Amino acid sequence: MFIINCPYCGEREQSEFKAGGEAHIIRPKQPTELSDDQWAEYLFMRKNIKGVQFERWVHTHGCRKWFNVVRDTSNDVIKAVYKMGEKPPTK
Amino acid sequence: MLNYTNAITEEKSYSGLQMKEIKPVMKLVIRGKKREFLSAIGKSLNLLLPTEANTSSSSDKLTALWLSPDEWMIYSNEILNSETNEYETENLLNKNISKTNLGAVTDVTDQFVLINMKGDKIFDLFETGSPFNFNDFRNKKGSVTQTILAKIDVIIHNQNKNEVNLFVRHSFSQHLFSWMNDSASRL
Repeated sequence: MFIINCPYCGEREQSEFKAGGEAHIIRPKQPTELSDDQWAEYLFMRKNIKGVQFERWVHTHGCRKWFNVVRDTSNDVIKAVYKMGEKPPTK
Repeated sequence: MLNYTNAITEEKSYSGLQMKEIKPVMKLVIRGKKREFLSAIGKSLNLLLPTEANTSSSSDKLTALWLSPDEWMIYSNEILNSETNEYETENLLNKNISKTNLGAVTDVTDQFVLINMKGDKIFDLFETGSPFNFNDFRNKKGSVTQTILAKIDVIIHNQNKNEVNLFVRHSFSQHLFSWMNDSASRL
């Protein structure tokens, strides 16, 4: 369990949120031109690294807004939180 | 069809805590992002919507709760005539907000149950079933939060010292009220 600083509501406990997977995955502009492997790569393959990861989270039981979180998956330390559409702090 | 019977019929009293449903109270959820939306609401209702997170504002007749950056709940301060399903405020907002495409107005009167709580043990009760930190919240009159209480989504409005309004979805209200009674009996 850890605390997430929602960019809209402030600090809340993790149980109020839901994780939405890896952030900043760009949808291919012409999906019809991709092979099945390339499409599967976009659709399913995630890094799931041990270390600092860029993720999407949603404040389900609060403001119901989506935002991005930079989290170290090895110890759950949150390095940064930023709104959708904003540039990631370091990437 | 509207069901005029109360979700919670009893009024419960414990040492330092009283709980009862307040009904009928008009409740609206309004959504909008534009600046014109905020000014149109202000002009229509003579009420400025709170733009700061977790706060509320009120006029003589209405209270507005901040729910998210583009979502507010408006509820009437007074109990209304139960024989009506028509609200002057809703009609006014439909005319000035919905029909001008500034935002959305939804009547949630029957979706939410308003439980009024009084006493100095309100936050002791909340702390038995909520992950929210009430330390600052309890000292700030007018503060609002959406959180979980006994795994149920609730909206909590700190109306006054030792007085809180709690909104819970109708279908969860009886279960939550029974949980609150159980928890209050152990405080």
